[in-house]
Amino acid sequence: MCSIAGILFKNGSRSSLPMTTGEALTEMMDACVHRGPDSAGWALYRDPHPGRLRLRFLVPQGTDHGEVVDRIKERLELEGAELMHEERLGCTYGVVVGFEGDLQRFSYAMEKAGMLLSAGSSLDIIKDVGRPLELCNTYRIAGFNGTHGIGHTRLATESGVHPETAHPFWATGFADVATVHNGQITNYWIMRRRLERHGMEFRTENDTELIAVYLAYRMSKGASLKEALRTSLEDLDGTFSYLVATADSIGYAKDKLAAKPMVKYEDDALIAIASEEVALNRLFPGKSLDTTEPPPHTFGLWSRSLSE
Amino acid sequence: MVTIDLSKTPVRVANEMIRGYGSTRQDVEVINPDARHYIGVGLTTPITVRIRGSAGYYCGGLCDGPRFEVEKNVSWGVGDNLLCGTIDVRGNAGAIAGVGLRGGEIVIRGNMGSRAGQVMKKGTLCCGGNANFMAGYMMYGGRIIILGNSGERVGEDMMGGEIYVAGMVDSLGNDAMLIEPSSSDTDSVLQFLDRYDIPFRGTLKKIVCRGKSLRYGTAEPRLRKLPYTSFSSPGQTDYWNPKVREDIRVKAHIGRYRIRGYGASRHLPHFSDIVFRQDMSKVTPEEDMVSKVNLRTLIGDKHGGRALDLSMPVMIAPMSFGALSPQMKLALGIASRLSGISENSGEGGMLSAERAEARQMIAQCLAGRLGWNVHDMKRADGVEIYISQGAKPGLGGQLMAEKLTKEIAAVRGIPAGMDLRSPSRHPDILGGDDLIMKVEEFREATGWRVPISIKLGAGRIRDDIKIALKDGLDFVELDGMQGGTGAAGNEVLEYVGIPTLAGLQEALDGLAEIQAEGQLPIVIMGGIKDGLDAAKAIALGATAVAFGTSMLIAAGCITCMQCSVGSCVIGAATQDKEHTARFDVKKRAMQVHRFLEAVRWQLAFIAHAHGYTDIRQLSRKDLVALTPEAAAFTRLPYEPGYRRSSSRAL
Repeated sequence: MCSIAGILFKNGSRSSLPMTTGEALTEMMDACVHRGPDSAGWALYRDPHPGRLRLRFLVPQGTDHGEVVDRIKERLELEGAELMHEERLGCTYGVVVGFEGDLQRFSYAMEKAGMLLSAGSSLDIIKDVGRPLELCNTYRIAGFNGTHGIGHTRLATESGVHPETAHPFWATGFADVATVHNGQITNYWIMRRRLERHGMEFRTENDTELIAVYLAYRMSKGASLKEALRTSLEDLDGTFSYLVATADSIGYAKDKLAAKPMVKYEDDALIAIASEEVALNRLFPGKSLDTTEPPPHTFGLWSRSLSE
Repeated sequence: MVTIDLSKTPVRVANEMIRGYGSTRQDVEVINPDARHYIGVGLTTPITVRIRGSAGYYCGGLCDGPRFEVEKNVSWGVGDNLLCGTIDVRGNAGAIAGVGLRGGEIVIRGNMGSRAGQVMKKGTLCCGGNANFMAGYMMYGGRIIILGNSGERVGEDMMGGEIYVAGMVDSLGNDAMLIEPSSSDTDSVLQFLDRYDIPFRGTLKKIVCRGKSLRYGTAEPRLRKLPYTSFSSPGQTDYWNPKVREDIRVKAHIGRYRIRGYGASRHLPHFSDIVFRQDMSKVTPEEDMVSKVNLRTLIGDKHGGRALDLSMPVMIAPMSFGALSPQMKLALGIASRLSGISENSGEGGMLSAERAEARQMIAQCLAGRLGWNVHDMKRADGVEIYISQGAKPGLGGQLMAEKLTKEIAAVRGIPAGMDLRSPSRHPDILGGDDLIMKVEEFREATGWRVPISIKLGAGRIRDDIKIALKDGLDFVELDGMQGGTGAAGNEVLEYVGIPTLAGLQEALDGLAEIQAEGQLPIVIMGGIKDGLDAAKAIALGATAVAFGTSMLIAAGCITCMQCSVGSCVIGAATQDKEHTARFDVKKRAMQVHRFLEAVRWQLAFIAHAHGYTDIRQLSRKDLVALTPEAAAFTRLPYEPGYRRSSSRAL
């Protein structure tokens, strides 16, 4: 009940788009906002600093911002992470810390202090209730000009409208893995219990989080992202078109019923995927694009350095 | 040729302009289309519209007559329900190209997405490249030409029409078969390709319906001596009672579920299990009471359309021309006008004579798009998207072969003489996001002038109502388990669904959960039998009610529950001229009208007895529940004491 969007610039190229990566994503999301006006979110891949970790927390409305921040800082110290940079942005609190160790253990520990939206060397998830254009200003999305990112607008159908139920979802405990999704995973509880038996933890009952954790778990067991995408077509049941992003790539998968639309455009410089062609045209106004609709029951993967 | 620049003009305005140019027969060029949706929707004049680029969803949808030329791609649903005209797409098409096509020609020179030509009835859909899975899914007629590969399961559940494939047939769908095309078939296809300058030198394979799934096997024996209500009637206490035995014997004969009309006949908690606190036994009705209580209800102007203007918070529930005879539909149209309320087309097309009689008519759009067309939309006072109904939530309509006469088949645009099982799911509404787009398409087709409502069978209503609110619907028609139907499996009728009382409360709770109380009017139906039930529903929070079954009974229905058979003795639920000849339209219309006036009187009396001057002053505070079940459904106080004084409790 949503729209998805993703963009990746190949080979570090900045192409001739007259807009930043953040603006491009936001434009694409705005073009499809009719599919989901409740909330919006971005997974942005910022420049990584070696040995440092980005964390973003959600500070829910009605809680004392200062109190939450103090708790987070205390916990960071306790976990031996050195605070390098902090920012307060809308309903979030972001930090860059010096940390080297087991991210999964660290992030589970940090969640005792605050609601963790994302963690990784470059991943930064920003999401809130509202429409992309409004949120873009609040969260200074236009200033982002990295190599890739994914975005989402949501029409809430089952769970409520809160920042924490907006997409993208981070694969809790796994650095830099984020997903956005349009559709519904119908074997959610079967898959969730299967993953929980392997020690995975879930923060919501949202099926998109399941996709993220599923992919990250598969990769942690040695599968490549490509392999994980392939098996997801068999393991996940329901109607879905989803995007996954990692530190250097973007992938998609589409179920066999193809009930959820997805269109892609690719040229030498970039690959862009969205729910509808109208979103891709926002990047190239007035042009007729050679787009393709990924066939049912397929997946694809592009990375910054090599494309498929 | 005039030019419209979509980078400067919103589509809504552009469509008004295109229709305007259409009326003066001027061709239109659309520049900077940038894959925007709904371009040219609802155009009914024979002009040419050139789209210089890609178009989005429903390009050329709900049109009659025009020619569209698209330079690049189109998204989902190109040429939706096209009646006549041409759409020529140079690039690729998304899913469900030519959905519900009713005539005219659609040519996709590139590839096309899945389920092309779903539920199409007439005309030609041609694809120069490859098709994706299930082309011709549930098609009733017309022709699909695929010059590339067919895709998986081509012709799945097709019921008529023909599919020609030049490339590889990846796999055949259920009930589809390959045959050799005749030379006239091939000539006709070649002529078509020639007209569009599509070079072709291959051979064609032809796919048609095998016809194994069109009729039920053994016919169900008709038994009148044990009506379905016997099952739950007092006195039938023994477990293997005659009804149960009959049911087993019939199933042993036919080997499947049994089909009947009406809704759940077993006892379910209902409006009779809640009562007004107010003692009305001492209240003397005043002579001009009806004029002193405001009953007038405007509904459906939430998004700027013209509201339905009801003289009381009552509608006639959707019942189809097909399930009902034209005479019965006409009587309902007349009664609705006399009582100043609205009538509803139900599935399967609008009867012109009824349209003329009814002052306010809602056109209902169902998944099979049977009889659906832009002209009926334009002459309707409201458009309603049917998702499901209370009697059989999640299932499509059924019309047995006996009732699917040549006339009815022609109106619906389908082959006659099959046991019609309408699809249960819209080709283009697979989720809340698609629903938004369908609503927008309908708004464009009707120039944003009429209310657009949604009919929901109570199921997961707490969530569904939130989607309806967010998707920009004007009101909801909510149908509970006691709601009737022309034909459905007996077990489904008795055991599937949510009782009306519970459905209404869930819907109200769903809106309250997102702080949207009162933001989406609910018209409740499903076993509403009189003004008393109606008043209770309104006190609980419904904006209006709709009557279906009680309309038929008022018109003389003998409640044999055999609506599906097609030999309704009073001529209400049949197409058999021998029976319909007995139906006196004027007399029956007056019976329905008089019943509706009795409802009006009851509504006014109840409001008056509470000292109210407006029916909307009734509230939950005025009600109590007589049974623990009804109290649990509604959270009204359980006060069985009111039962003891039931002589005064209404």
